[in-house]
Formats: sequence, C-alpha cells, structure tokens
Amino acid sequence: MEDLGEKLSEGQKDEYDNGIGSGIGNSSGTGILNGKGKNQRSSFNDFVRKLFLILESEEYTSIISWSPDGKNFIVLDTNKFTTDILPKHFKHSNFASFVRQLNKYDFHKVKRNKNEAPEGIQNAWEFNHQYFRRHDEAGLDNIRRKPSSQKKILVDENSVIVRRLGTALGDDGSGGLDGHEEGMTAKMLLKDTVTRSKFNQVKRKVEDMESQVQYLTNENHNMKLDFQKIQSKYNMALESLLSTESFNSQLISNFQTLVDALMQQGLKIPVGISFQKPNAGAENKSQQQLNQIPDSSGSTPNTNIAGLPVHNTLPKQETGDMIPIDQQSVLRAGFHVLLVEDDSVCIQLCSKFLRKYGCSVEVVTDGLSAISTLEKQRFDLVLMDIVMPNLDGATATSIVRSFDNETPIIAMTGNIDDQDLVTYLQHGMNDILAKPFTKDDLHSMLIRYLKDRIPLSEQSQDSDNGAKSYAEERILKKPRI
Amino acid sequence: MSQATKLPEKVINWDILNEIVSMDEDDMGFSKSLLMQFFDQAMSTFDQIEQHIKTDKDLDQLGQLGHFLKGSSASLGLQRIAWVCERIQNYGQKRDGPAVSDENYIKLIQQSLELARTEFVSAKKELGEFYKTEF
Repeated sequence: MEDLGEKLSEGQKDEYDNGIGSGIGNSSGTGILNGKGKNQRSSFNDFVRKLFLILESEEYTSIISWSPDGKNFIVLDTNKFTTDILPKHFKHSNFASFVRQLNKYDFHKVKRNKNEAPEGIQNAWEFNHQYFRRHDEAGLDNIRRKPSSQKKILVDENSVIVRRLGTALGDDGSGGLDGHEEGMTAKMLLKDTVTRSKFNQVKRKVEDMESQVQYLTNENHNMKLDFQKIQSKYNMALESLLSTESFNSQLISNFQTLVDALMQQGLKIPVGISFQKPNAGAENKSQQQLNQIPDSSGSTPNTNIAGLPVHNTLPKQETGDMIPIDQQSVLRAGFHVLLVEDDSVCIQLCSKFLRKYGCSVEVVTDGLSAISTLEKQRFDLVLMDIVMPNLDGATATSIVRSFDNETPIIAMTGNIDDQDLVTYLQHGMNDILAKPFTKDDLHSMLIRYLKDRIPLSEQSQDSDNGAKSYAEERILKKPRI
Repeated sequence: MSQATKLPEKVINWDILNEIVSMDEDDMGFSKSLLMQFFDQAMSTFDQIEQHIKTDKDLDQLGQLGHFLKGSSASLGLQRIAWVCERIQNYGQKRDGPAVSDENYIKLIQQSLELARTEFVSAKKELGEFYKTEF
C-alpha cells in the first residue's frame, strides 16, 4: 500500500480530521447516514460506514462502486470523486487524505496489471479490506484503525483532540455529540495520563541527570583545584630541583677552579673533599658563591671559601668599594638580628658589621640562652655559632625549629667538615657562613635572607604575611643536601 | 685543615684587618680595642692550653681551646696564629698528624703552642708598627 498520507502537511491533516469530526454530527451527508440509522452503535469507524453507505446507495456508480465480485471497491474517477463526493460527504477535497484514512483503517490498494484490469478502469483505484464487503454491514464492526499507525501519530492526535474538545464546548455541543464527545474525552484523558506519567518519568530522569551533572561539575571543579595545587607544588619542586642542579654545576666548576688554584700553589688537595660529586663541603662554598652572584661580586676563590681561611694567598678582588653602595640599596635598615656567639672578639666584630648594615643586634653567648630568647621574642635573622658552652648551635637550632620554622638561622663556623655541614643543615639551619667572614660575606647573607623583607619591627600589628610567606618560600626553595 | 697546608706566608691578612680598621671611621679606636681584647684572650688561652698539657692532658679541651682562639684570630686577619690554632684543634680531635697515641698528640700540641706564642709576638710587632704603639 502506498502511504500517501506521508505527503500531507499538518494543516491538511487538521482539515481532514475536523471534516470527520463535524461530519459525524451535521454533515450534509447525514441524509444517507440517518436513512440507514445504524451508525449510533459504533462511532469508532464512521468514516468506513459512511463509505459503505455511499457504495451501497449506488448513487455514484460511475465514480465509485463495488468491484464485480463485491470484495473490493473501486474509485473509478478520482477527479470527480475528489471534486464531488469528498466535499459533499467528507468535507474536504483531498484524495490523498482519503487514501491515507483508508490506509489507517487497514485498507490496501489492489494492484493490477494494466492488461489485467477491466475495460475503462485502468486509472481507477481499487481498495480491499477483508471485512469490507458488499452488503455486509455487520462486517464493518471488525474494521478498526490500525493501532500501529495510531501510536505513530499519538502526539499529533492528542493535540488535535484537545482542540476539537474546545471547539465542541464553544459550540455548546449538540446532544447527539455528547456520547461521542465523552468517549473522545476519556480517550484524550487516557492519552494525557500516559503522556503525563511518561513526562514525569522523563522529568525525573532529567532531574537525576541534572543532579548528576551538578555533582560531576563539582567533582571536576575540585579536581581542577587539586590539580592546580599539585601543579604548583610540582613547579616548586621542579624549580628547586633546577636551582639545585645549576647550583651543583656551578659548585663543581668553582670547586675545580679552586682546586686548580691550590694546585698551582703546590698545595695538596685535602682528603675527604672530592669535586666529582657535590658534597657538603662544596655546598657551603657554592652557597657563598650564590650569595655573591646577585651582588656581581667576583667569584674568584677568595680567602673565605671553604676551609682555607688563612692559608690562601690569592689576591682578593678589589671590588669592596662599589659593592656595599649597590647592596645598601636593596637591604632595608632596622632588622633585628640575634647573634649567638661566645667569643667576645667575634661578637664585637660581627655586631659592628651588622650595625653598619642598619641592623639592631642582640647578643647571647650560648645555645640555651638563644632558645629562651627566641621563645620570648621574634627576630628577623639569627646568626649562630656552633661551638659554644652549655649547648651547641646545631642542637639549639633543632630545638628552636620545634616552635619557629620561619626565622632564618645561619650557622657561623670555622668547621667546614663535610659531616658537620650536613649535620647543621639537618638540624634546620638555613645556611652556613664560614668563619672568618668578611663584611661582604655577611652582607651577602643578609641580602639572601632579608632582601625584599620588611623588618618585623616595622610590620608591627598589621599581620603582613607577605614577608613571612616570602621567607617560607625561600626556605622551601633552598636546596637541601 | 690537613697537615699538608702550609703556614701562611704573611703574619697578617691585611685584606681582613683593613676592613676592620675601616670601621674606625665612625668609631675611633674600634680595631685597636678589638686587637687588644684579642691579645688578652690569646694570652689567657695559651695559659689554659699550657695548663691542660701539664695536668690532665685533656685532648678534647685542648681541641676546643684551639678552635676558640682560631675563630677570633682568623676574624682579625691574624692568619698565622689562626693556622697554628687550627693545628691544635685538629690534634685535640686526634686528626691530622702522624701521631698514634694521645701522648704524641699532646706533644704536637705542645710544639704548636710554642709556635703560636712566636706568631703572637710577630703579630704584636707588626701591629705595633701599624698603630705606632706598643701592644
């Protein structure tokens, strides 16, 4: 069967369905229908019954008639059928709609070869339904709309029915329509209910999905945050790794330079220091070297590098004159420094230097006093001798670190033995200033830990975390052995 | 430091001492008073070393005294004294040196102390000339 209805537009469908609806009650074809008076019983296939009555009346045999055997009916003249019969009995003039309606009631177009067709009906349309027979009115009860096609256009029909109901009510619906209308309403309500439960189902699903999307969005957001955190940590780790690396290579080359210089002077290289692998002894030196770099001070081995304090006779670079001016510009005045030292000469010298750089100095002479002082008061920096009475500087530092992780603590020592250096750093000291140190060595250390920082005394009450976190950052970044 | 390192050629490392002397600009007599203080400190430390050698032969104590004087002498640029003090420190820790017995280390410290006193006199002389005064 050709499904001609596929070609119909929405408007045509409406027109067609309205035609059926209104045609039931007050069509001009009621004469025929009422004449037989048998249509009340089964209103579900009025279209078919109307067609049956037209055929039985044999009013238009030249246009539409039963086939000779009475099993099929034939539209002999589609043009006249469309222009005369359709408007009169079906309130429209669309042959395609008529065919589509037949299709809905499970009529089939009978295909015949042209040769096979009886004379004069080659262009006729012949339709067949197993219960649509000549004179067989009872058989009409078996003709119903196909459920499948009904399902297919469910939404369309639903909307159409709602509109029709509105029209009927507006017309103050005739009595004859009531039963039919009720049936339609029930049908409509039934469809509506199904639709609503389905709608609710879908709604629930959508709501579920929305909450899931929300959950996933949150999850995603959290993961992004975590990822960012991890990435920043990774970057930090990478940065410190890179600085350690450059640090090490610098250290090795500097060490080599130093070794060469010593060799030239005919000095034997001390046992236990090797330049092949960066070790603790080298660490100390390269840190000093690093300190010097920002000051553009010469990196030629000078007398204060790593354990050759008094023996090295290499000429010192005469850069001391310009550097302090340069350095002074970046180091603020007013830092409060705790000097932990037991030797009076060193105390005087070191505090003299510190005051020269604008620092205020408090002096204690052993590790125990250092701890108790740091418990009571905060300092911008601590310079700590190692060998002292009562408690050595390294142990004191490890105790201080149990309550203060921020204050930079710099070891001052003449002991630059590998193992000692490792011990100092493991105890939580930030850096090592090898004794004896020059004014510039000390200044480099101050720059390294106090540059860009605001003295605690100036920070006063307003909690300036910026400076602190900077300090922490510096500590974090500091390569550890 | 190791046995192999040589005694510095010059008594005083003037690079270091000059830096301290330059501090006199805003504090008259600073470097001089510091040196005076050091000489007192050195004298008493030498005496303490002497005592330990004569009495308890406590290598640990001797090493610490050596370390102590090494720090102050080095920071003043008195590099030959500092060098000797370091020897004493190392002997006290039983490092550096051919000695195998404690007694040998005590002997080495004894020798170093004599050298330190000699260097002490040399330093005083050179500084006396610089400051044009008698230490």
